[in-house]
Amino acid sequence: MIAQKMKNSLSNNNINPNFKKLADEITSIGLNWHSRTILENSKINKKFITQSISDIKKPFGKKSESAIIISAGPSLYKNNILSRIKKSGFEGSIIAIDGSYVRCIKAGIEPDYVLTLDPHPTRLVRWFGDPNFEENLEGDDYFSRQDLDVAFRNNSIEENLKNIELVNNHGKGKKLIICSTAPKNVVERAMDVGFDAYWWAPLVDNPNQSESITRTIVNETNLPAMNTGGTVGTAAWVFALTTLNIPKIAVVGMDLGYYKSDTSYLQTQTYHSLKEKVGEENIQDYFPEFTYQATGESFFTDPTYYWYRNNMLDLISSSGSIVYNCTGGGTLTGPSVKCVEIEEFCELNN
Amino acid sequence: MSELLKGNFTVKNKVEIKEDTQEDNSNSEYRKKALESIGGSMVFVERDKLFWDGDDSSKDEE
Repeated sequence: MIAQKMKNSLSNNNINPNFKKLADEITSIGLNWHSRTILENSKINKKFITQSISDIKKPFGKKSESAIIISAGPSLYKNNILSRIKKSGFEGSIIAIDGSYVRCIKAGIEPDYVLTLDPHPTRLVRWFGDPNFEENLEGDDYFSRQDLDVAFRNNSIEENLKNIELVNNHGKGKKLIICSTAPKNVVERAMDVGFDAYWWAPLVDNPNQSESITRTIVNETNLPAMNTGGTVGTAAWVFALTTLNIPKIAVVGMDLGYYKSDTSYLQTQTYHSLKEKVGEENIQDYFPEFTYQATGESFFTDPTYYWYRNNMLDLISSSGSIVYNCTGGGTLTGPSVKCVEIEEFCELNN
Repeated sequence: MSELLKGNFTVKNKVEIKEDTQEDNSNSEYRKKALESIGGSMVFVERDKLFWDGDDSSKDEE
């Protein structure tokens, strides 16, 4: 099967000016609201840092030639990506984001690295099995609205207990690439499990500028800083490229959007926030549509995923590298993004 | 009924009662909170550098 270069059909004509204005505001929103948290978390976590990503041994052989980044978007499940990777016998490096780690274990895939970034105080720890699951769920419908794992959605308490056991059994000694911004409960969980933790700092702004948050965190923690694009999947790609120096990198589960066929606006990540910000009568303007040309499937994105998408495309451009998007759907298309089937990437790199 | 409650003098200074002040403040706080979550929990501003370890050699040329 020959890779086909995807046209970017998410043209500016599809984007409402108000949508674009909000998406453009997200950078400053993050800077205003989350700077303090990431600084504070980094200071708190300093005492736990015993090794950084600079201490990681570079992979060798097939593991050094190619990598697959496993994100956790809906195409991961809909397109049976994990079973296809397993079946292909891929010999390169596998980097799972926190949100896909348990799914990898369940699919019989042991990632070489697991990466975590997000500083959210209650939502992240569930990816490692949450010892305080019910307490952290209280009053928060973020996951119940949009949980892609049907088993989890239907029986979350029992599934969480299973996940705790799975991570306990598989996580000891596993390389965890953990950001200095990690919240307390993730750090504690990681230590309880016995992950082999390698720390890093987030490169969030230009460290050469005065009052740079990045420089402050790096000075505080003595950690090297990696850019994140605002999201863990992009951070994992940066890790593979700049720390592991792997030249050929594929991404899966990186939809950066939602399947139009079976997703309502309510099930999107920032539905309540958007409704509050723009009003329910205008909300449809904030979910522009996109067609994935290889399949003709329709997707829609929201300001947040659109922002992540633009961030990723900007960083790909800055890197001068090519990303192989083996998601099989979603909105990540553009310059230097080659959309191919996962089998093709695996065969070419085995 | 309102006729029975009419005052018998006119105040010099006009009194402006700010109605719904508490409601405005709580709405404003709610909108701020709502805005906070758009974009997730991370800060992202830098679009050129991918890596920085504090070493001058890892800086991009300005």
